[in-house]
Amino acid sequence: MPFDNLAETLLRGGIAPRHVRRYLAELSEHLDDLTEKQRAQGYEGKDAELRARALLGEDRELAAAMLEQKSLRSITARAPWALFGILPPFAATAAMLVPLGILVVIGKVLGFLEKGAARPHWFEQLGTATAACANLVFFPLASVLFVALVARHRLSLYWALVAVAIPLLLFLHSVAEFTIPGHPGIRIGVGMAPIFLPKGWKTAAADWPIVTAQYVLALLPLIWLARRRLAAR
Amino acid sequence: MTEDNSFMSGLPELAILRLLQDQEMYGYEIVQAIAARTGAALSPGEGVIYPLLHALEKSGALRSRRKTVAGRSRVYYTLTAKGARRLSALTSRWSDLNGAVQALMGGALAVR
Repeated sequence: MPFDNLAETLLRGGIAPRHVRRYLAELSEHLDDLTEKQRAQGYEGKDAELRARALLGEDRELAAAMLEQKSLRSITARAPWALFGILPPFAATAAMLVPLGILVVIGKVLGFLEKGAARPHWFEQLGTATAACANLVFFPLASVLFVALVARHRLSLYWALVAVAIPLLLFLHSVAEFTIPGHPGIRIGVGMAPIFLPKGWKTAAADWPIVTAQYVLALLPLIWLARRRLAAR
Repeated sequence: MTEDNSFMSGLPELAILRLLQDQEMYGYEIVQAIAARTGAALSPGEGVIYPLLHALEKSGALRSRRKTVAGRSRVYYTLTAKGARRLSALTSRWSDLNGAVQALMGGALAVR
């Protein structure tokens, strides 16, 4: 591609991807117009293309002009600490609440969540599956989202590590329990039990197969990005 | 857009806003029009006009839309009300500067 290096320079410089994309599209269209003009002036084939490319400007000039415009920098580049340091636990919680929310709506509509209500076996199975889905699909999806943002904006791998590590250290874990010894009713929700505190360890140990899978799945996108970055060196 | 105090800066912006006051145009058209109207005395680098167009749009001075004309799809830019106010301010600033330079040159001629 003619402007691949330019795109990399701009993304690494913090320019918002949408501006980079549009800039490259406009430059391509401009180059077509210039080439057409050169042909109209009697230059042929490669000669016309080379003259047009020279008129358009060197990659260095084109990049400098864009990097000079601070307003075109992405929020991700301007405040990565906010996006990758603060948002991840909230995003992961929100992502995990979606399937549980659906479960609660179903339970409410069918009256399975009323006090003392009889719950069919399939609803309890659905609840267990939904909690597992929140832990093993939606939680890792939040991790995928932040790693993808780091990759897209060509940010340091450390930001991806921060975004993935914080929810893992806080140990966000979904539960849907229908039979709690010595406790009436049911428990559905997303809990937070920092893994570095005894309560976190106990919760993790009680549900270790799911917790292990949750951690591995959340770390996979980070490992993928690290391998990709190493391969690109 | 931040107020830029360097001597020539603001001139490409003025030229762009002035051209778009009359009609909507795309980047290549703007570059050609600036070169034609100024007798190529003011000819910005062909590709470097786009970052300025993007920044002007971001500041609300311009609006853009993709339009297909004669089978070619391009991004067309138009002036907004905010852009018109910016043009008016820039025009006034450059008129003052022009007057000052004229006075300076007249003074220099008188000394001679």
